[in-house]
Amino acid sequence: MSVAPTHTSLMYDDDRAYAAEAGGFLRAGLEQGQRALVMAPPSRMALLATELGADADAVDFVDEAVAYEPQWNAYRVLLDHLDTTPEVRTRVVAEQVLARRAPAELVDYRRLESAANLVFAGRAVDLLCPYDAAALPQVLLDIALRAHGGLRLRGSVVPNAGFRDPLEELAALASVVHPPTDATTLDCSDQSDVALVRRTVRAQGSRDGLAPDVVDDLELAVSEVLTNALLHGAPPTLVHLYEEADMWVCHVQDGGGLPVDPLAGVVPPAELSDHGYGLWLARQLVAAVDVGSDLTGTHVRLHVRVTG
Amino acid sequence: MILGAHRASADLGALEPGTHLCALEPDATTLDRVAATFVGQGLAAGDQLLYVASDDQVDGLVRSLSQHLDAGHALDSGQLLTSSFEGAYGSSRPEDLHAVADGFRVAAHQAQERGFPGLRVAARMDDLPGLLGSMDEVVAWERMATRLQRELQVSSVCLYDTHRLEPGEGATLAREHDGLAPDIDIAPIGTFLAVDEPWGVQVRGEVDVSNRHLLHRLVLSRAAVMPRLRLDLEGVTFADACTIARLRSIAAALPEGGHLVLARVPTVVRRVLELTGLGHPQLRVEP
Repeated sequence: MSVAPTHTSLMYDDDRAYAAEAGGFLRAGLEQGQRALVMAPPSRMALLATELGADADAVDFVDEAVAYEPQWNAYRVLLDHLDTTPEVRTRVVAEQVLARRAPAELVDYRRLESAANLVFAGRAVDLLCPYDAAALPQVLLDIALRAHGGLRLRGSVVPNAGFRDPLEELAALASVVHPPTDATTLDCSDQSDVALVRRTVRAQGSRDGLAPDVVDDLELAVSEVLTNALLHGAPPTLVHLYEEADMWVCHVQDGGGLPVDPLAGVVPPAELSDHGYGLWLARQLVAAVDVGSDLTGTHVRLHVRVTG
Repeated sequence: MILGAHRASADLGALEPGTHLCALEPDATTLDRVAATFVGQGLAAGDQLLYVASDDQVDGLVRSLSQHLDAGHALDSGQLLTSSFEGAYGSSRPEDLHAVADGFRVAAHQAQERGFPGLRVAARMDDLPGLLGSMDEVVAWERMATRLQRELQVSSVCLYDTHRLEPGEGATLAREHDGLAPDIDIAPIGTFLAVDEPWGVQVRGEVDVSNRHLLHRLVLSRAAVMPRLRLDLEGVTFADACTIARLRSIAAALPEGGHLVLARVPTVVRRVLELTGLGHPQLRVEP
């Protein structure tokens, strides 16, 4: 008999509260022979190491700058960790530095937290997501309330009445944003057009100040998403390039048809030929990915940061 | 497909195997250019090419090809074969066309034995009317060639100098072909050349949905001859995940003792390997 996974949020006001709650959560698991994984900023990892003392040796620590780069990589770190010992229950403390995230990335973050409820269903894992209640704006603290089934308070977990159905949340976050009228638009009807789009993204991206490694990754991401659209979507297939809220956007639109699976590309698909593969790759390569569909078709928007 | 005046697509990488093209031009220079385009793009697509022409015409072709790809290398590896007209078609009127057809069958078969997915032929045909005796005989020949080539999946271009033809003969010849060979050379985004030593393939440029099937069929053909092969990827500037995934599948399906080595792997390919985690004991990655 296996116990259902849990996804709990923790609001902390100061270091002491953090250490006591997150530390207590991990210690309880270690005492039962469970594994422990922490993905957090160095300052929090240090607090936990102090709190746990010798027990900290049994904990796997990963700097959030690595685990959440990009954000969807966190799932992979988690899944890889769980897969090494599937028969052992694992407790996870997961926290990234949300202050550095651009608006598009924060939308992705909301998806990340809601989808976790679906992705880790059936896995032997207890996820604790700490939120700095003193520093974070209410809109981010609201994510703590919407996406987590439980709230940790003074050593115990209270069911969260504000928990929203993950599929409903993901659907709400899947709206379509249309390209601005001054976007550069490329009409792609043939497989040979993918190379032309790569060249255009490279030229225009570099001109607009994208760092070389960002351009390389974006080139691969757009190639994958566009290839998907040509092979599995419906014509016409358009690629729009524009800037939005300090991010550079590469927007692939096709005539649509198939309903968009909100979990497509959120976890590494089993087979490379799976439709979700291109999207999954894109999520590993760029800062944020929006997927939505409406009467105008299916829209996949790849966001990257402009540094120049 | 409209016979005769229809111009085949300039993308010879996508040429349907078994297509019988012709070139009808009023000067040798243009014919040289059409031949070089056909041969160069066919080599880049991984096929074996046979150029039937005079020594001077062959030298000219090798010189012009060398601007875009290593023609000398293609000659050394046997990917580019050359023959004089007499060597290919004989110096006297053939008793029957079946003997000639058998010669083509052998050539097509040998291409596979040498590890090529297909054979393409470019031939300077100006001596053919003289050899066969009449235009009717040439038409019969071309008609046989169309059927035979479809059967053998061999593509070709028959190069005719229209100054050596009577009025109306050009149109007659065109009707016996699937279309006119392209006269503009649009460089393919990627080239896939056979390598003899070490056995394998040299890849340059970009590999994506539009051309990855060419790489894969060449690798499969090489692997069928010897299942230990090396892919030199130094010149690769782009490769998508499916390209690498299929190479992994090919490596996984090799017989025991076989292996596929990815050599001189550039950053762009390394990134795909690292993100996808694709690997297999029979797929070896060398820096």
